Amino acid sequence: MTAAVLALVAAVPCLYWTQGIDSRPTLESAGIKRLCVPPDQVEAWRKAGFNVTAISDADFSAREALPVPGTTPRPGVASPTRAPWIVASGWRFMRAPAGKYSYAVPTGKAALALAEAAAYAGDVVLKIEAADVPAAGAMLAFLDSLPILDLPPVVDFGVVDDGSPVTAEAMNLLARRNLLFEIEKAPSPRHRINVAIGTAAYPAQEAADPSAFAQKIRAQLTDEQRSLRIYGSEVVIARLTSDGKRARVHLINYGGREIEGLRVRVRGSYQSGDAFIAGSGKAALQDQVVADGGIEFSLPKMGAYAVVDLR
Amino acid sequence: MHRRAFVRLLAAAAASAKAAGLDLAAKGPSIRELERDGLQIRTDLPPLKIVSRYSPAATPGMPGPFPGRVIRVKSDKCVDTTTNTANDPVVREMMAQGMRALTGATTTADAWRRFFAPSDVVGIKVNCGGYPNCISAYEIVAETVRQLTGLGVPVSQIYIYERFQNQMDECNYAAHVPEGVQSVAAERANRNTDNSGYDPETYLEANLFGEEDTRSSMMRLVTKRLTKIINIPNIKDHGASGATGCLKNIAYGSFSNVARTHQRGKTHTYSFIGTLASMEPIRSRTVLQIMDGIRGVWHGGPFARTTKYLFYPKQIMFGTDPVAIDRLLLDIVDNERKAHGAISIWDRNPNSLKMDDTRARDADPNVNIIIREPGHVDYAASLGLGVADLAKIKVQELTV
Repeated sequence: MTAAVLALVAAVPCLYWTQGIDSRPTLESAGIKRLCVPPDQVEAWRKAGFNVTAISDADFSAREALPVPGTTPRPGVASPTRAPWIVASGWRFMRAPAGKYSYAVPTGKAALALAEAAAYAGDVVLKIEAADVPAAGAMLAFLDSLPILDLPPVVDFGVVDDGSPVTAEAMNLLARRNLLFEIEKAPSPRHRINVAIGTAAYPAQEAADPSAFAQKIRAQLTDEQRSLRIYGSEVVIARLTSDGKRARVHLINYGGREIEGLRVRVRGSYQSGDAFIAGSGKAALQDQVVADGGIEFSLPKMGAYAVVDLR
Repeated sequence: MHRRAFVRLLAAAAASAKAAGLDLAAKGPSIRELERDGLQIRTDLPPLKIVSRYSPAATPGMPGPFPGRVIRVKSDKCVDTTTNTANDPVVREMMAQGMRALTGATTTADAWRRFFAPSDVVGIKVNCGGYPNCISAYEIVAETVRQLTGLGVPVSQIYIYERFQNQMDECNYAAHVPEGVQSVAAERANRNTDNSGYDPETYLEANLFGEEDTRSSMMRLVTKRLTKIINIPNIKDHGASGATGCLKNIAYGSFSNVARTHQRGKTHTYSFIGTLASMEPIRSRTVLQIMDGIRGVWHGGPFARTTKYLFYPKQIMFGTDPVAIDRLLLDIVDNERKAHGAISIWDRNPNSLKMDDTRARDADPNVNIIIREPGHVDYAASLGLGVADLAKIKVQELTV
């Protein structure tokens, strides 16, 4: 088994299931065969044919709890209609990629949480509501069906992480704006722009308004030079990985509604690709255009998550 | 697929007319001409980038063959103001006289034939935003369809369209036109989730307020299907653009993601409306303007959920020049506001501004929620879309 395969297997999030073996039909009907269960239930689930990992309540509680992903009203901060406030944790996974995380999500959020965890290859255990088992099963099956493609992230600039809450919130807003960055311990010559909050170029008082701060970085990058752009939604956050010849775009829709015709632009020499859309499977890219140093395409319809492989 | 994109970069009218020696200078008047006409075109405008692979027609539909010419047909009998019901025979007669006067044709059919052939696929851009009190009149839309089918345009080649399906459903034009006429919208509702009804290769790009989605794309129906468009707006006040008529109905009613142009008291409609209307192919294909002024809205527009601000101009205007008609529209709305003692649509006093407070605006006609931009009509003139100088607009008035 290659390192890439190992990495992917480790990245598949695990459902923390505390209901007894009697709930087996619910899980089986959703196609779920892998679980995290309390230690005293491990044997029973294994005998029932499940692939299980022992997780105690203490283990679950010891993990860093992530907020429920989605959109939320923030009067005076975000527009409820055009650009709602997004609760997303991608930047947390980036900040501590070796971290162990957990979600406890209400009904209707399991698929989105699974998508977010998978997109960033986070080590995640999720506690979900029973009503969400079918949606979770469908998303897990979708994640299992994705072609294995382990590529390094594409970044347009670096952010020097001083560990402060101000930098954390800046990273949150930078990620929410689909500005692709890499977290560094110190400014790196690999980046055209290194954002180090607290320096003369990026004073801490500027970062106190993280949304305006993100706009400043965006202006410095220029939209034309950004490796990835999203059109047709203000509630999709993307992650881009590439080795220069192939690329994978993860698209996470936090809005809770299906989006038709989401438009994506990726800089590079890609000529074609395939879309894998949770809920509808493999699909051709629509309205594809290769021009001006990049590829553009639309997706027919997507729910919580889609993956696009470019070549 | 590689695109042969036709890209123009507009920084401002001044910069565009000077620098965009490309095609703007050829289509539009020079800055010197605009200044001579008394038009003050602002230069503090955001960069707007047009992407379209469509070329203009030899004579683009806007301003078309009759720049600066407006036929205004009035009738006291066109609407019963106690029931808000239009008088169908009177409206039809107003339409017939207006079209004949505009074209100089001796018969109504010949007047319509001036613009349309049986092979055309015709879009009728209605305005549903003022439902239930002030929308493109059923009587005008029905008469338009009647004239088109009379010329031999098949019903399957006639499309009544708007951006939002929920608005089209409310208005239900289908009940007023022959079966087979298409009713089409680009999105189910104004939720910013349906993009497939828009052409992703024909758009206006601008970063106005830091939004991530910086594109406003033209409806696919317009780029891929229609050969001609008839624009049927209403006379309405508008909280951002001052008033909404021909230009805004065709522009904001045919492109995606336009609500982003106003935010927190500021609007970019000044340059955005005209620039959208100037894009190909919508500019070339919009060949006829029929301004429905049977009813109007003098405050709180573009919506008309209440009759509180409804009024009755009792007129229909005909032309091919959207700028000339809209220049008259500004005065109609403003005069009605003056008659009610309300502030002008040109008011830029910060004291009148209650940002985003639509409740206060709806309650008090002396409240603005945005500093309005009625100067968008002048800006559209600077793009060559028509004549905004009142002294140069020739209005022929008829009474039925």
